[in-house]
Amino acid sequence: MPLVSLLYPLVIIIYLLIGVAIVFHMLRYKINQRVAFVMFVIYIAGSLILLVSNFSLFSAVNWNQIFSAVSF
Amino acid sequence: MYEEIIFPGKRENEQIILFLRRHWFIFLIRIFFILISIAGLVIIYVLINSLSENFRESAFYNLLIFGESLATLFIWNFFFILWLDYYLDAWIVTNERIINIEQRGFFMRNVSELKLTKVQDVTSEIIGVIPTLLDYGNIYVQTAGEKERFTFYQIPNPNYVKNTIVQLQEKERVAEERELGEIIRGKNR
Repeated sequence: MPLVSLLYPLVIIIYLLIGVAIVFHMLRYKINQRVAFVMFVIYIAGSLILLVSNFSLFSAVNWNQIFSAVSF
Repeated sequence: MYEEIIFPGKRENEQIILFLRRHWFIFLIRIFFILISIAGLVIIYVLINSLSENFRESAFYNLLIFGESLATLFIWNFFFILWLDYYLDAWIVTNERIINIEQRGFFMRNVSELKLTKVQDVTSEIIGVIPTLLDYGNIYVQTAGEKERFTFYQIPNPNYVKNTIVQLQEKERVAEERELGEIIRGKNR
């Protein structure tokens, strides 16, 4: 369980770093302001929904039961 | 028509004649990888569920759903990386110059420009069955005194674009010659 609680934030940090790079390029190098804004809103909204649902699914997993089932 | 287009170094009286991106089919091919990934997730879900009847009641079911959700997060990012790669590559033809904006990954961006008067030769090329059917291809713009060619990749209607560039180049050349003539005449008086 401690391993998972260390790995999960690391994975999320990697995801967020990629997300920052995407948003930076979307807004910094925009060619069409309206398209960039619409895609930015879609990206942020989608990411928030996916992140919140992923966190709730992470909390729903019974890690102790899984680790005891796979350990020999 | 192109009022919303922003590009580096836009001049006051500069008029955008053509704004070009790769053909939509190229983006569709890239999206295909996303579709394969989503299909993979669905197949994994169905396969694992079909292995055991009681799987939904076990702790591993939540683990599977969590894993699929985590994969979806990264697929979401991957889609936007592909979209950015498509969206940030552009070729702009104005009444004065040609601007090439090229983005490769996150850390390589190349913006180059070419004056229409420097254009020496324009070649369009359509190779393959799908490009012929969908009418997309490459355009090579050769400049005077430079070895390197200016290339437009996989753009729609390459023949039309080529003709437009040639016409604009001719117009710009005539205007420059006229301007030069006026300067010479002015000096002789």
